[in-house]
Amino acid sequence: MQLVLDTDMIACVTGEPTLTELDDIEALDRIYRSRLLRFVAYSTGDQDLAETIVQDCLLKAYNARDSFRGDCAVYTWLAHIATNLVRDHLRTRKFQFWRKIQKTAPDLTEMSSLLPSAESSPESQMLARERAQQVSAVLESLSGNQRTIFLLRFIEEMELQEICEATGMHINTVKTHLHRAVKAVRLKLGGRI
Amino acid sequence: MDNRPATQSAQSADLTAQLAAHLTDEQFSDLLLGAGAPAVQAHLKVCSQCAEEAERVSAAIGSFEQQSRLWAERRAASHSVLVPRRQSAFAWLHIPTTPQAWTAAAAAVALAVGVGVSVRDGFNFSDRRAPSVQTTSMHASVAQTAAVQAPIAGVQPAAQVSPATGVSPTTLKADNDLLSAIDGELRADESTPASLYGLDTYGPDTAAHGARLRPAKRISE
Repeated sequence: MQLVLDTDMIACVTGEPTLTELDDIEALDRIYRSRLLRFVAYSTGDQDLAETIVQDCLLKAYNARDSFRGDCAVYTWLAHIATNLVRDHLRTRKFQFWRKIQKTAPDLTEMSSLLPSAESSPESQMLARERAQQVSAVLESLSGNQRTIFLLRFIEEMELQEICEATGMHINTVKTHLHRAVKAVRLKLGGRI
Repeated sequence: MDNRPATQSAQSADLTAQLAAHLTDEQFSDLLLGAGAPAVQAHLKVCSQCAEEAERVSAAIGSFEQQSRLWAERRAASHSVLVPRRQSAFAWLHIPTTPQAWTAAAAAVALAVGVGVSVRDGFNFSDRRAPSVQTTSMHASVAQTAAVQAPIAGVQPAAQVSPATGVSPTTLKADNDLLSAIDGELRADESTPASLYGLDTYGPDTAAHGARLRPAKRISE
């Protein structure tokens, strides 16, 4: 992962696209699939739909790799494509009420056995799980833009400027959505607003 | 009149009020973003409530990040099983999609084409000969049928079908379309990302996978 980030940084500095990643669909899949899957799954709240969107995203990126100018990180570009695909799907889904019944949200509880246990007690692990589930629950209550920007900032750890590039929003709009999302999370976790 | 003490007291009162008031939403958000102003940092040192809340929210987001990353990594690792296959053009027919079923279907199609061609050739042969040699022509027809059907016992029947004379272009096109669809379905069974995205090509190394992966030759007139 570190190697990938360094490659992205070099690409941004030199302005040259990372041809080795974009020219190989399997490398794209291997390097970015899990990150995209997490982002899309929590953006849509539907892990099966997320699989489809991520596959579309990687295929679109591969087919349009010649248009990648290298003026941003590859993941930022992929996030931009994924964000547009998520918007399209959510717009379509407004008219598909049965999707609410069929969708399968990511289940964090299934990860309980994989959490690192060496450095923390069972009680602290339980507390961490509960807090993570609270964050997951409050994400569902956010608007689409708030959720997307919160995920890009705090989960994907992208800078505000990168979020602007990925979402196509002005930086003030991004900050406003981010503040509202943080406010909701803070309220859910028992903070004073 | 020296009003410096009054100014200092006013500034001190402002600072005290700033420290006493809890963090606003914007300040809290900036703090989580790692852009906490010095005044915010100073407030956290004297306000245990805000410090505890900042730690709690930050830890919750960190836990969510960690668990969601583990979930995504595990999900992505098993994507070859979980990724839905591309929708086939014949999905509405509910045709079985196992390789064995498609191999059997290909064999059946090739058999039908082979029999049809041989029967047509038999009629043509008898038309060109006198009625007295009907028995001979039937033997020739059976022999031709056997010659066509022999490769059907293998796995790549369509590749062995010889070009048929007198077969209508419509029939040839329909047969070619069906064989192409069968080839597409067989290729879709491969679980590599390239094949999932429909981007794989047939290179020299694919011959090692056997005849199942080989595309059927198109029948030409």
